[in-house]
Amino acid sequence: MIQLIGIPVSPGVASGPAVVLLQNPFAIRYTVAQGHVAREAARLDEAARLARRQLEQVRERVTRSSGPELASLFDAQLLMLDDQPLVPRAKAIVETDCLNAEWALQRAFDEVSTVFDQADDAYLRERRGDVADVVGRLARALRPTTTSPWSVLAGIEVPSILVVDELAPSVAGQLEPARILGVAIDGGSRTHHASIIVRSRRVPAVAGLRRATALIRPGAMAVLDGDAGEFVLDPTPDAHERVLARHRGRVALPVRASDVGPVTTADNQVIRFEANVETPAEVPGARAAGAEGIGLFRSEFAIGLESLGSFDEDRQYRVYRALVEGMAPLPVTVRTFDVDEFQVSGNRHPVGGTSRGPLGLRAIRLSLDRRDVFDTQLRALVRASRHGPIRILFPLISSVEELRAARSALRGVQSEISEGEGRVPDIPVGVMIEVPSAALTADLLARDADFFSIGTNDLVQYCLAVDRSDGRVADLYDPLHPAILRVIRQVIRAAARHRKPLSVCGEMAGDPASLAILMGLGVTTFSMAPSSIAPARAIVAGLSLAEMRRVAARAMRLGTGREIRSLVVKSVAALRPPGAGRREEGAGGRAHGES
Amino acid sequence: MMTRQVVVSNALGMHARAAARFVHLATSFQARVTVNRDGRSVDGKSILGLLLLAARCQSVVTITAEGPDEEAAAEALVRLVETGFGEAP
Repeated sequence: MIQLIGIPVSPGVASGPAVVLLQNPFAIRYTVAQGHVAREAARLDEAARLARRQLEQVRERVTRSSGPELASLFDAQLLMLDDQPLVPRAKAIVETDCLNAEWALQRAFDEVSTVFDQADDAYLRERRGDVADVVGRLARALRPTTTSPWSVLAGIEVPSILVVDELAPSVAGQLEPARILGVAIDGGSRTHHASIIVRSRRVPAVAGLRRATALIRPGAMAVLDGDAGEFVLDPTPDAHERVLARHRGRVALPVRASDVGPVTTADNQVIRFEANVETPAEVPGARAAGAEGIGLFRSEFAIGLESLGSFDEDRQYRVYRALVEGMAPLPVTVRTFDVDEFQVSGNRHPVGGTSRGPLGLRAIRLSLDRRDVFDTQLRALVRASRHGPIRILFPLISSVEELRAARSALRGVQSEISEGEGRVPDIPVGVMIEVPSAALTADLLARDADFFSIGTNDLVQYCLAVDRSDGRVADLYDPLHPAILRVIRQVIRAAARHRKPLSVCGEMAGDPASLAILMGLGVTTFSMAPSSIAPARAIVAGLSLAEMRRVAARAMRLGTGREIRSLVVKSVAALRPPGAGRREEGAGGRAHGES
Repeated sequence: MMTRQVVVSNALGMHARAAARFVHLATSFQARVTVNRDGRSVDGKSILGLLLLAARCQSVVTITAEGPDEEAAAEALVRLVETGFGEAP
């Protein structure tokens, strides 16, 4: 039994066989049934045949272009295809250990590499590169038509726990809860985009496990607790039962999920909750949870993240229309594409799909650069606005100029459509406050914006200069950092002075202590994952807004996020429901009581 | 069984291309071929084995052939090594 503690990213418990997906190098690991071993070994022969044809073509091309002498280098690679230590050895591993072809090939390569690495000969160590080249070709040849991780995932037959080194958002978006019971991630963090998506799909998950993919043995069973951040490989029956029992205790906590409509605090102040969703399919769940609107629709996720360029206007229109009609008469806030150039071009990211440059050409910057993509999206939104109240939110705005340019693009599209097809309704336009420059100039932006939505995930990350996907600095990511509270207070004051509605839509709103302090600072509308709304409503009902204002004022004088959190938790009885003490014990003394 | 000793004479030693030539020639015979250097023995028909032998210029290797055409095999392989795999000495 191996027990690992990571970061809880998506609540719930799961147990089952573990399947390993390594994004880099791309290889999926699973064991095959005894009866399918011969078929699996035959895949290696087929891959070797394909690799041979390719290499022969390469040799021919090089012969023509550079002469036979250089081309004969590929003779060595061709010989490696047949050589005992690679394909025949991998086939033997498939047969004896019942591993899948990719995994067996990786093992055979590891065995050869070990010998090469031990050589005290520089020339020889470099030859390892030739072997790696051949093995890479073989690995690709194993899946000549299906090269994407999600198509590989679709081949999983038994419901399993997915163990990954990195989880790309595009892969997370394709996880099917019926087949993937839970996700364990070596890297990542609670607020990583992939984590948010996993949470929205209600798949229990733990991130920041560092070595889970390395420690796993073939065919291992695993149990995962997404609330406590615990991941156990090959659990003993006792350990398994302990995790399940802890979960049963949690589920038994009373949650008033049936309430709908506005919720009032203990001192009769109204607080509104809206839902963050990724697909129209989540709308019924959001309504059932008591959401009074969609506060954030992340439009890029409904598109499969494959190629936004080819996502035509009619397809987008149908998605937005389904969303608006499903939610009417309540409003739907659509955030325009928050993607980077690779996603628009339909190209794969350079390696593993994670090399997203957060400070580069993305979100509104990319939309203003790629007006064809932007105008297509705006046309689809304007057409959908005829079917119910819609609001448009621009992501990553960092200046008044950008907001004006985006608004003028929308006006252009609106007048074009109203000339051709008749009048279109007005659409409120909002700014996602997530860049420090936007937060600091909120008073100026407020003159050109109809509403603000504070995206706390990125705002915290950029204010504190913390890359939230790097597990080694994840501890520095603290939404209750004094700097964050000051920045948020400044935005709230600017919005109030200009009488512009404001909501908070980051994951911060799902954390009870943060929720309480944001209320104390003056936030009255929150948008969060549908599953977080019911617990948050229960907390709000027990809070006095007047008391939270006093607590927030005291918090502004404290020096650290930890002091602020402990002040809030101590002052507010409602944040300490029965059972919370037990849960902290179970979590092994982690400082943050996020649930 | 035929056993012959030979000195690797080409400048680059038994590198990838040379080893590939050796394997091509060795596999044209029925005899089992092993190559030994400094107590380390590898299959003469395996490119990875020969590379791992790290037989550089001036190293002494022992070629052993065993099978119906062992004499011809040993003779041809020794000649290949002696002539520097057809490369510059």
